[in-house]
Amino acid sequence: MSRIGVFVCHCGENISRTVDVERVAAEIGKLPGVALATDYKYMCSDPGQGLLKKAIAEHRLDGLVVAACSPRMHEKTFRNAAKAAGLNPFLCEMANIREHCSWVHEDREEATAKAIDIVRLMVERVKKDKALQPITVPITKRALVIGGGIAGIQAALDIADCGHQVLLVEREPSIGGHMAQLSETFPTLDCSQCIMTPKMVDVANHPNITLHTWSEIENVDGYIGNFQVTIRKKARSVDMDKCTGCGVCMAKCPQKKIKSTFDRGLGTRPAIYVPFPQAVPNTPVIDRENCTYFKSGKCGVCAKVCGPGAVDYDQQDELITEPVGAIVVATGFELYTINEKPKGSPIKGYGEFGHGTIPDVIDGMTFERLASASGPTGGKILRPSDGREPKQVVFVQCVGSRAREKGISYCSKVCCMYTAKHTMLYKHKVHDGQAYVFFMDARTPGKSYDEFWRRAVEEEEAVYIRGMVSRLYQKGDKIVVMGSDISVGVQVEIEADLVVLATAVQPRQGADALAQKLGISYDTYNFYSEAHAKLKPVECATAGIYLAGACQGPKDIPDTVSQASAAAAKVMTLFSRDQLEREPIVARVNERNCVACFYCKKVCPYGAVEEKEIRDRQGNLVRVVAYVNPGVCGGCGTCQATCPSKSVELEGYTDEQVMAMIEAL
Amino acid sequence: MHETKEKHDFEPKIVAFVCTWCTYAGADLAGTSRLHYPSNVRVLKFPCTGRIDPVFILRAFQRGADGVLVSGCHPGDCHYMAGNLHARRRFAAFRGLLDFVGVDLNRLQFSWVSAAEGGKWVEVVTDLTERIRAMGPMEEFKALETEECWSGELNSPELQEAYNNI
Amino acid sequence: MNSTAQKLETSTPIDTSCYADVTDAIRKEAARILADGTVTAVVGYKAGRRAGTTMPAIVTDPAEAGGLIFSPACVNNLALYLTKAKKDVVKKGRIAIVAKGCDMRALAGLMGESQIKREEIFIIGVVCAGVKGSGAVNSEPLTTGNLARKCRECTVRTPEGADLVAGTMPSLPELTPVEALEMARLEAMTPAERWAFWKEQFSRCVRCMACRQVCPFCYCEQCLCDKNRPQAVESTPRPAGNMAWHIVRAMHLAGRCAGCAECERVCPMEIPLNLLNRKMALEMKELYGFEAGLAPQEKGPLSSYKEDDDQSFIK
Repeated sequence: MSRIGVFVCHCGENISRTVDVERVAAEIGKLPGVALATDYKYMCSDPGQGLLKKAIAEHRLDGLVVAACSPRMHEKTFRNAAKAAGLNPFLCEMANIREHCSWVHEDREEATAKAIDIVRLMVERVKKDKALQPITVPITKRALVIGGGIAGIQAALDIADCGHQVLLVEREPSIGGHMAQLSETFPTLDCSQCIMTPKMVDVANHPNITLHTWSEIENVDGYIGNFQVTIRKKARSVDMDKCTGCGVCMAKCPQKKIKSTFDRGLGTRPAIYVPFPQAVPNTPVIDRENCTYFKSGKCGVCAKVCGPGAVDYDQQDELITEPVGAIVVATGFELYTINEKPKGSPIKGYGEFGHGTIPDVIDGMTFERLASASGPTGGKILRPSDGREPKQVVFVQCVGSRAREKGISYCSKVCCMYTAKHTMLYKHKVHDGQAYVFFMDARTPGKSYDEFWRRAVEEEEAVYIRGMVSRLYQKGDKIVVMGSDISVGVQVEIEADLVVLATAVQPRQGADALAQKLGISYDTYNFYSEAHAKLKPVECATAGIYLAGACQGPKDIPDTVSQASAAAAKVMTLFSRDQLEREPIVARVNERNCVACFYCKKVCPYGAVEEKEIRDRQGNLVRVVAYVNPGVCGGCGTCQATCPSKSVELEGYTDEQVMAMIEAL
Repeated sequence: MHETKEKHDFEPKIVAFVCTWCTYAGADLAGTSRLHYPSNVRVLKFPCTGRIDPVFILRAFQRGADGVLVSGCHPGDCHYMAGNLHARRRFAAFRGLLDFVGVDLNRLQFSWVSAAEGGKWVEVVTDLTERIRAMGPMEEFKALETEECWSGELNSPELQEAYNNI
Repeated sequence: MNSTAQKLETSTPIDTSCYADVTDAIRKEAARILADGTVTAVVGYKAGRRAGTTMPAIVTDPAEAGGLIFSPACVNNLALYLTKAKKDVVKKGRIAIVAKGCDMRALAGLMGESQIKREEIFIIGVVCAGVKGSGAVNSEPLTTGNLARKCRECTVRTPEGADLVAGTMPSLPELTPVEALEMARLEAMTPAERWAFWKEQFSRCVRCMACRQVCPFCYCEQCLCDKNRPQAVESTPRPAGNMAWHIVRAMHLAGRCAGCAECERVCPMEIPLNLLNRKMALEMKELYGFEAGLAPQEKGPLSSYKEDDDQSFIK
């Protein structure tokens, strides 16, 4: 007979308010095999855990059920407590009577009856639980960082500084990301490139960092400590070893009128280019779509002028596979465009703002390029349409953000601050100009942020109008901004020279596809999901993968850098040991019963099933059976449900454990 | 949700087989959001819908479930990449079979409920409970269970007749 | 009511002249491949003790090859003898097997499930005008009246992909698809009527397990339904366990069953078991375009998936 201890938690009043915990304990105490059933105010507290540990010894318990919150919350806590008291942690289960019962039901009778059922099922399960031993797996102490913006750079530097090898993969020809595009940063107005470019150089010079720019993640296999990452190194058409970065090719390229993405279409670049002068690496890439040689086979000027002979038109994409032990995802964000909505997107466009057809209606990032000393105008604020200095500029906040009817309900977090910054930069450069800001409310939580915003309003004379813009249209060379000022309840019309929209921060295009390769989850907007909103803000639910920066949600630079360092710290924690202990929730084959149909092998998402030969003492092949590599098995159990003879069993979720619960229904 | 509770003549027993990563977490979210739903459902947690064997559903019906819910991650969201996609085929086939032997498929619900969809969990569970409540008890499997089973009564007419014949 | 042909049409004789040619070809080929050492044994049919019957036979001596026959009484699916029936037999070389089209589908299925390897067997494929249903009188010739149900809708009368195909197909009279009609009748019922139908059928089951024993795909050494820790399916012949057993059986064969209908033939209680298999085959075809065929397939419909599989039933 089992000797199971059942501990019913009040969770303060969270459970006991709706569930009669004493009755639950009393009823469960009557079940055969239950040696002890009791209740306590806070099971997860020190005294609560102490109670549990004491009971294990006193009552010689061989199984535990803690009826409390979700196992996702405290299973580890109680399993550790069990372990500390000498009981195998896998003999401890949680019955979720809070999230699944007391919090969702009101009727005390019903909730109590349900709680008794939930605990009873768990008691039956625990009777079938087996003591499991953790699995140890080796750790490859090498990290992959995806994305070379400030988040990726910070994480890569931190990990590399700790002495571990880092692969930094960037989709664009240069690292730097959005921060390299910014002019000045709030709230200090220090030059973004002045603080960013030294870090980029640090990355380039770091002996522990291998940089793969113009590269993308093709495939990810494996598991924590043992990932196999395939990287597609896109054909650069320039040999990185030979190129000296002299820039002659760019100067001589006859194709000069290609709109620069880095400059948000305000400036131009040649077909062989580096996105910006401080690019790292300073090796150009040929934009094959716009290169005359690739389009017509004629030209070839860059190859002719290249002294070291680095231009290589025949270069092909290259796939490399690298072993890594941990992955930091730092793919960043992009801005919502007010153009017609993309096909199939739940997000609606802004037809009333001219669908992005009015040239002097720009977004915040484009304004950053206008204001940047290294930008296409050399830092002068000039209208894209005619190069005139705008005297009236209207800034519109919350374009896309916080607009449920447009498909996005979240706040993009950085726009209030950067718009305040924009009004200041504008005022500093155009002294007789006037900035207007349409805003819902100013959100300035952050060190020195509110002071900064107040300065924009009180000292720099930006006119803040509380209200939204309903329509924008071109009238002569002016843009008429129609909006409302709800603080005085009047309609407002401003004839502006330039309109700057603070468009929403969104995850990168293709963020979902990358998530599927990595096996991590994402929300409805494609922002990556952290394992726990508060307690595991940088971990993914998939072990060994960590998040940094705006790919997880809109963030400003200080938050991004903090999260990147936190992710790096997590990686370093993982790398501090030679071996990792894994939960033994893996499939195991009963070789005696296995009939080698290999359905398990066909369905295994991890490729964990191998064919194993069983030989007699003379070495003759007796039979072939399935074998599950416990290091590779992810523990989904699809094999077991598929196996006709049930010869493969998922530890922790065996048929016996499941059926015990079903029988107790 | 706060009006006085209706009392029903029949309270169905609903069994939910859910994956731990999406639907179980979604149900947790319903709890942390303090949403309310009928208390009829009993949740059995699995790592993945891919682990859920049709035999479990069958056995749940035999053990008195009036309705069964199987719920996991949306396609593409599976923590194990493809467990839910294997499950999708398996349960499509199983539905066809149950329908063919005459089980009313209204008693068997499949759904995708993500960790973010606490509201959807409430909706799925509430709809299913109300539907089964309207349908009444699942008699078919229970009748099979008790058929040819001695009732335990010592004075049934058959026994009486047998005694009398001694 | 089961594979016994229902008198839906007047009994027309079926041209069985090809069976003699097939028999000759089998004997000749068996003698040749045994003599030259291509194979170590031939699994085929020989005459049964009672006139007009046959039984499975394993021939290892070329001199005995003359005893092999093929006739409308060759009902067995011999694929069975390559898996569980020879589990403990030490492999000594290739084995030849006489296979009708329906049997060959089973062979292909078993190859897909790694149970047999193509290079380890030699398939003597036979053209088949049909075999007798289980109620047929031994002395009667094959007619449209006593033809087995499965043979009325056969699509694999000439097995392709065999090492040898013996015989030429005669032309056949019009055949009523009895099983398809029965399927349609059941599909048209309400769920409650279907439940009543199957409840009655399964209530007769005596759990003799002949259906499992004869199935080429039920090759598990330990059947799930015999397990008692945990007991997923009640093992005594009671209504609840019977229903569960037949549901589990059909589910385990979904996407695998070759449609040889041996389960139905051997059922002593005449339960129309092939209807369940057929239903699953229809589902697999409709949903995933899968059909059991003559060529081995790497993955079955329930061991693979597509991103865009139907999920209209999922909320």
